[in-house]
Parts: sequence; structure tokens; C-alpha cells
Amino acid sequence: MVNTSNRSTLTSSNNKLQYRLLQVSAIFLFLYALALTIAPAARERTWQTEYLWGHWIGLLLWVVVITIAFNQLQKYLPDSDPFIFPIAALLSGWGILTVWRLVPAFGLRQTLWLLVVGILFIFCLRLPGNLNFLRRYKYIWLASGLLVTMLTFLFGVNPMGGGPRLWLGCCGIYFQPSEPLKLLLVIYLAAYFADRIPLKLSILPMFIPTMLVTGVALSILIFQQDLGTASIFIFLYTVHLYMASGRKRVLIISLVGLGISAILGYFLFDVVRLRVDAWLNPWIDPSGRSYQIVQSLLAIANGGLFGRGPGGGSPGLVPVAISDFIYSSISEEFGLVGSIALLALLGIFLARGIRIALHATDRFRRYLAAGLTSFLIAQSILIIAGNLRALPLTGVTLPFVSYGGSSLLTSFIALLLLLIISNEIDIEPFPIPKPQPYFFLGYFLAIELMVVSLATGWWSVWRGPELLSRTDNARRSISDRYVKRGSILARQDQPITITEGSSGNYIRTYLYPELSPITGYTHNIYGQAALEFSLDDYLRGIQGNNSALIWWDHLLYGQPPPGLDVRLSINLELQRQADELMTDHKGAVVMLNAASGEILVMSSHPNYDPNLLDETGSSLAQDAERPLINRAAQGLYPPGDALKPFLIAAGLTENPTKDTQLNLYQVLGFYTSPDLRLPVAPAAHPTEDLRISPLQMALAVAALSNEGIRPPARLAMAVKTPQQGWVILPALSDPVQALPAESIAESINQFLVSNQPYWEYASSPWDDSENRSLTWYMAGTLIDWQGTPLVVTILLEEHNTNLAREIGQSLLSMSLQP
Amino acid sequence: MTAVIFLILRILLSISLYVFILVLFYLLWKDNRQQGIWLSKRKIPSISLTIQTSDAPTRVQHFNSEEVTIGRDSTCECRLDDENVSNHHARLKYHHTQWWLEDLGSTNGTFINGQPVSTPLVVISEDEIRCGKNIITITISGDTFNNLMVKDPIKDIGENNA
Repeated sequence: MVNTSNRSTLTSSNNKLQYRLLQVSAIFLFLYALALTIAPAARERTWQTEYLWGHWIGLLLWVVVITIAFNQLQKYLPDSDPFIFPIAALLSGWGILTVWRLVPAFGLRQTLWLLVVGILFIFCLRLPGNLNFLRRYKYIWLASGLLVTMLTFLFGVNPMGGGPRLWLGCCGIYFQPSEPLKLLLVIYLAAYFADRIPLKLSILPMFIPTMLVTGVALSILIFQQDLGTASIFIFLYTVHLYMASGRKRVLIISLVGLGISAILGYFLFDVVRLRVDAWLNPWIDPSGRSYQIVQSLLAIANGGLFGRGPGGGSPGLVPVAISDFIYSSISEEFGLVGSIALLALLGIFLARGIRIALHATDRFRRYLAAGLTSFLIAQSILIIAGNLRALPLTGVTLPFVSYGGSSLLTSFIALLLLLIISNEIDIEPFPIPKPQPYFFLGYFLAIELMVVSLATGWWSVWRGPELLSRTDNARRSISDRYVKRGSILARQDQPITITEGSSGNYIRTYLYPELSPITGYTHNIYGQAALEFSLDDYLRGIQGNNSALIWWDHLLYGQPPPGLDVRLSINLELQRQADELMTDHKGAVVMLNAASGEILVMSSHPNYDPNLLDETGSSLAQDAERPLINRAAQGLYPPGDALKPFLIAAGLTENPTKDTQLNLYQVLGFYTSPDLRLPVAPAAHPTEDLRISPLQMALAVAALSNEGIRPPARLAMAVKTPQQGWVILPALSDPVQALPAESIAESINQFLVSNQPYWEYASSPWDDSENRSLTWYMAGTLIDWQGTPLVVTILLEEHNTNLAREIGQSLLSMSLQP
Repeated sequence: MTAVIFLILRILLSISLYVFILVLFYLLWKDNRQQGIWLSKRKIPSISLTIQTSDAPTRVQHFNSEEVTIGRDSTCECRLDDENVSNHHARLKYHHTQWWLEDLGSTNGTFINGQPVSTPLVVISEDEIRCGKNIITITISGDTFNNLMVKDPIKDIGENNA
């Protein structure tokens, strides 16, 4: 005795669970919408802000459409698969809110599309269960699909401006016929192979569909340059042929076909080549051709494990985030946790789709179910893998989720057909002569889903921190607007560069612009330079802060904690004096504490005003005067006979051999770049002509006033941490005994200045490479000076020993006289 | 403060997503379980054969198996002691939710309601099978359900022809 009542309790308890699933997805979307509403408050860290409300319309309409659709579904297809409808409902709601979060205007459109699609869905529930009308009129369906697609070859437009013209549109409503064409192709292939079982793989019965599919795929490739749709076509054809024939050979042949069409596409079409190149080498041209993919990876990296939360990230930085890159948006705001949930949903959908195919009661419906499932899942994998740089980027949509009416419509019709096919009371399934293709298809797509989830983990967790520190990560300058950056202070804590304003509007202000080549700038377009670059970790607060605080702030805001102030060794009074005297001259001044290596003055002229970077930034880089270069540390000049004091001190005045000369230069540090927290020029190599920077010279000169010991250079002296107050930043290298202490006196005795406690020496070598004369000036306190030993080194890009002497003497007398 | 509330929302959001997936898995498990219970409760409708012959008194045989072979051989479930009946004469078999009658290449043929059986046929209660001199009347228990099940395919066929 068959128990019918048992079957119906099964159905009704499934329906109850299905209802529960829809409730949970409604709760999820409610929380999403709520989070989206208060996201601005969390970002700006205050309740006084503008909240977002618009997306609630989307949620409301979603609830209405899904509730009615579910009731009708229970009425007309009570025994249909209980899994796939709730999954599709959740995905479509997730998509609507995400689109709304990215571009509210498109969110409204997507909501209206859902309404249209929902009405169509409810209406089509009444279709007869055997779907014979699809099978019988297969050529009509396919031909009409092809015809409409062909129209786009003639009248196609792209609603977003440039790019492939795949849409038909009028009056603000656009439709992409290649989306439903994929569906119609699946229907056609299922019907065709259900009628002719190609067990023998003979050529004749294969001829028509093969020609048709290759023809369509090729013309899409040629006229639309749409690699994604073309590969989906070939994939779907392969799936059907393999299911119908059960021959592995099919897979090999179509793999070759796919390869050939990819290579053809690469060499014939710019769009395809661009995308493949951007895929293979994204890091070569991150601001140009690979901009999209690099930005997509940055978004995924910013999401990390838990995501930034709805409205908490900046997924809008990725171009076309609402359709092609919606997966990276979801990854950024829901993190790896959310992405894996999304992929798991697709995996369950896949499993149910294959099951529906295996349980189908005739061959047509079986092929159709398998075809529809592989269409939806393969397309998802294709675009997700494109977002993750696992495959070249193809402009297909993420079914159910991406923005686009045609995509939503196609996805829901595919869902509807699957529901209709699954709505069979256990009449025994149709026998399967060769079940391997179904298993293979299931395994293949499931493994792909696993691969993309691993790839998401790779970019978001493993490579994430490295990616986020890239200078082309615009999120860094966004967080600079919300988090206070540390100040750069001079020796007595006088501010040089500070951050002003309030959260959301922080602005970097440079109070002493003449120091710009040394302190540098931080700018949202031009990046960072000099100390702003090399001390970024402290100024940004990701070094020196408590690591728990850094972790917590990253979790809450995706931003670093407030930055730390850094104190420099610069003596602002002396610096001002040097800059004043250097006005209108080109060159550099370096003044050091000869014992400790602390840089008291570092002046480079000409310089620029970083406050005006918005206007002048682009012309500065091309300026022939090179104001961006820190001449003191990055300029390299031939020393010429400026080395005379060293030669005397080393006892090499009379025809020194090359080797002894090289040894001297070596200990004077002319072949090593000074090690300090500041970008410096790479040092000359012993085999080349000697060129040194004024800083290198100053450090060597310090040895003459410091008993032959060359000190390590120091500029950034201390950083102010919240726990321990000022923490000293140690020197990065050790002092070196460069010259014998005894012979120094003999050397500097030749350069004494009358009645002054210092010596000086000036020379004007000729710079062959630039065809100009230079002036080197050096001066320092005498050995028996009781106070702090000081040295000054000046380089002028002109012949002007008088000016050099004036600057040097004024700096020394300012600092030596109490 | 705002960010902490936002964080709580984010956590709830992830939890609700995974609750959804958990319910999906629960449904998956429950579906399989119910399917198993349903299949275990699903019994083959027993078939009763009322055998009339001129030689012997009418007898009734009940079968709970899914296959009943009719013939003269002693291994047959339904033995007919009649020289006009072959050793393995005909078979009644339950599949596709129906009882089917199939002739096993008998010498004198099997007839249902007077018609010779050449291909397997669906039988329902009250059908009369003739093997040799034996008239076998079929009674299938729970036939109401069987009729119900038969209706759908017929409707399907009807639509196919439409």
C-alpha cells in the first residue's frame, strides 16, 4: 500500500522549511539594510550624520515580490525542489542591496526589474510541466534569439558609454539580448540532442548544431568582441554533446576549440588582447590597462577575513562594480566569510541542479536541467574567477546578483524551468545509459567553485596586507581623510607639517614649505615623497602603536589608529637662516652635529610649496629645475678638489696610488649611501667617476671636526607613542673611524679662519657631465672646541664661493655664539 | 561607539548568512531522511490471483513479492497443473508503480481479457488472464492509489498528442 499522505507531509514540511529559509534570508537582508543605513555614522564616528534610507524601497519590494512568488510557487509547483528558490531569492536580494549601495539610481532600476521579472515568473508558473512547447519549437526560439542578437550588431549601444555595444535600448531602458540567447541555446541543444542520440559521434547529426554554435560564438567574438559569451556558448555546447554522447573525446576537442578561439581572439581583437594582457601581467600597468583588475584585487584585499561591513568599504573605486565586479564589492564588504557563503550557496545550487537533472523523467528535461545548471554556475565561476585574476576578465554578469534586467530575467527563467522540471512526483526517472557526464560536470564545477574560494582567500587574507600598502590603493588616502595623521616636528617641537580639520575632512598642512624636498608630501594623486614616505608607518599609526589597538581599529573601521608625531633633528632657526640666504640659488646646505650625526639644517633649493600640490603637482615633475629632488641627499656631484682636506688628513698629498685613494673614499663613506630614514641617492660605484651627495660630504667632513670619526646620519629623532611618550629612533648604522685622529690637526690647520673657532675650505670644481661649475664649501669647529662639534657643507650649482662662505659663516656664528 | 554597533550588526549579518546555509543543510539532511522513510514505508501492493479451472475448485493465492511467475514448473510462484501451460508461462512483475503482465514465450500463449499478450502490459484489478484452461482474475490491493498514479501519465500522453 503506497502511503500518499506521507508524501504530502514531506512536501508540506519541506515547504515549511523553505518558508523558514526565506525568513532567514529576509532577516539577513534586513540586517544588511540596517547596517547600510547607519554605515555613514560608523565611518564618520558620530551619530550626527546623514543616514541612508533609499535602499529600504528595494528591500520592501523584494519582500513583496518574493512572498507572492513563493505563495504561487507552492500553489502551482508544490513538489518542486525546495532549495533553489530560496537560494535565488537570497542572491537577488543581496544583489539589489549591493547595487543600491554602489549606485542608488541603478538600485532603483534593479528593484523595478525584479518587479517585472517577478510578475513574469508568477505568470509562467502555469506553464505545462512537460515543457513540450519549448522542445517542439526549438528552432523558432533559437532563431528569434539569434535575430534579436543580430540586431545589436546593427543597432547595439552601450548604456555606460564606451566598450562593447551589446545592448538594445530605447528611452532609458536597455536590454542585452545575448543573455537570453544563452538560455535559448540551452533549450535548443537539449531539444536537439533529446531527439537524436549521438551515441556514435558521426559527423552528420552533429553538423547542424556544431556549425550553428561555432557560427554564433564566432560572430559574437568578431562583431561584439565578447570573449565571455563566446566561451559560455562553447562550454554549453560541450556539456550537451558530452551528456548526449558520453564520449570523453568531446571534451578534448572542445578544449582545443576554446584554445583556438582564445588565441584567435587575442590576435584579432584589441579588447580581448587588452584583457588577456591585463590578466597575465597586471602589475606592469596598474593605472592603465590593468586598472580594473588591480582595483578589484585591492577591494578584495581590503575586505580581508570579515569584510568592512555594508557601506564600510570603498568598492565604488572599482570600475563597473555594479555588474562585472559585483563579486569584489561583496568580498570587500562581507569579507572572505561572506564570499565563501556566496560560493557555498552556488555549490548547493549546483548539487540540486544535477540532482534535478538525474531525476528528470525524460531525456529533454534531463538535458535541459543539466544545461541550465551548468549555464548559471559556469557563468558565475567565469566572472568570479575574472574578478580574482584566476581567469581573464570576461564581461559576463553574476547570475541573480549583478545589476542588469536581462541578466536577472534570464536567471529567473532558468530557475523557473528548473523548478518546473523538479516538480515531478516519483514517477521513475528516465534511465541513463551513461551517467559519467553528470558526475563529471558536477565534480568539475564544484572543484572550480573551490578553486575560486581558495583564490579569494589568497587575495583577501594571504596577499591582502601587501596589496593594501600599495601606493595606488586609493583607500589609503581615503583613510587619511578620516584618521588624523601624525605631525612632523622640528627639534624643539615646532610644527613643520601637521594635519588639520575633523574626521572626514582632514587636510595636511605644510607650515614650513621650504623644507618640502626633505619632509615631502602626502597626496591622494601624487602619492608620498621624502620623509612623508619613509616615515609613513609611524605617521599613519601602523607602527609604534599597540598592535591590539591597530587590530581593533582595523576591525572597526578598516583604518589605522591615529598617527604618531615624529620629531626631527632640524633646528628651525638655523634652517630658516640657511633657506633665506639660499633664496634664488640652486644648491644644498647640510649642517650636522659632528659627534652625533644629527642633521640640524638640510636645505635644498629650488623647492616647492606642497600646499599647492593640487594645482602644481603635474608640472612639478616636468620642471627642468627639478624642485622635487632633495639635492642634499639625492643630488650627486663631482667633488673635484674639494677633497683636498681629506687627502691631507690621510697623508695622500703626493701622487697617491689609485688603491689608497679608493680605500680613503671607502672609509669616508662615498661608496655607501647614508643610512637614515630618508630617500637618498644610490652611492657611486668604485669603478665609476666619483660623485657624492652633499650629505655624504657633510658626514665625511664631520670626521674632520670629530677626531676622525664619521658619525651615522640622523634626522628622525623620536616618535611620540601613546604608551611610552617620546621613544628615540636609534641611528641605523655605527660611527666609523675614517681618518687618523693625529693627522687631522695638520690638515685643518691649513684652513683656519682668523679669530674664529672653526676652519673652512671652499673650491669650485667643473662638472663635466652638466657643463657647469660648482661650488663646494665645508667648515667645522676646531678639535679643541669645547662645545658641540658642528660642521657645515654647502653645494652651489654655480661658481660663487663668496655666497657659500657667507652662508657657512653665518650659520656657524649663529650657533657658536651664545 | 557607532563603529561598535556597526560591528555588532556586521557580526549578526554574517551569522544570519550562515544560519541560512545551516538551514539549507538541515533541509538537505531532512530531505534525504524523509525520502528514506518514505521509501521504506512504500510497499508493493499485494496481488491476489483467483484461479478458476474446470478440473479443480476455485482457489485464491496472495502474493507479497514483486514478481510472480505463472507456469507448470515447481519453481513458479503460481503453479498451474495443466498440460496446456508451459513450464514458465507468464510473469507478473511490479515496476514503475504498476503490475505488468508479460508472456514468457509460452507455447499456447497468454491472453488478457481475451486478447493475446505480445508485449508487457499493465494490469489492474478485475483483469482476467487466461493460461491454458485456467482463468486467473486479478485483485490488486490499494488500487485506488494505483488508479491515481495511472492518471498522470495518461494526462501527459494526452497533452503530447494535443
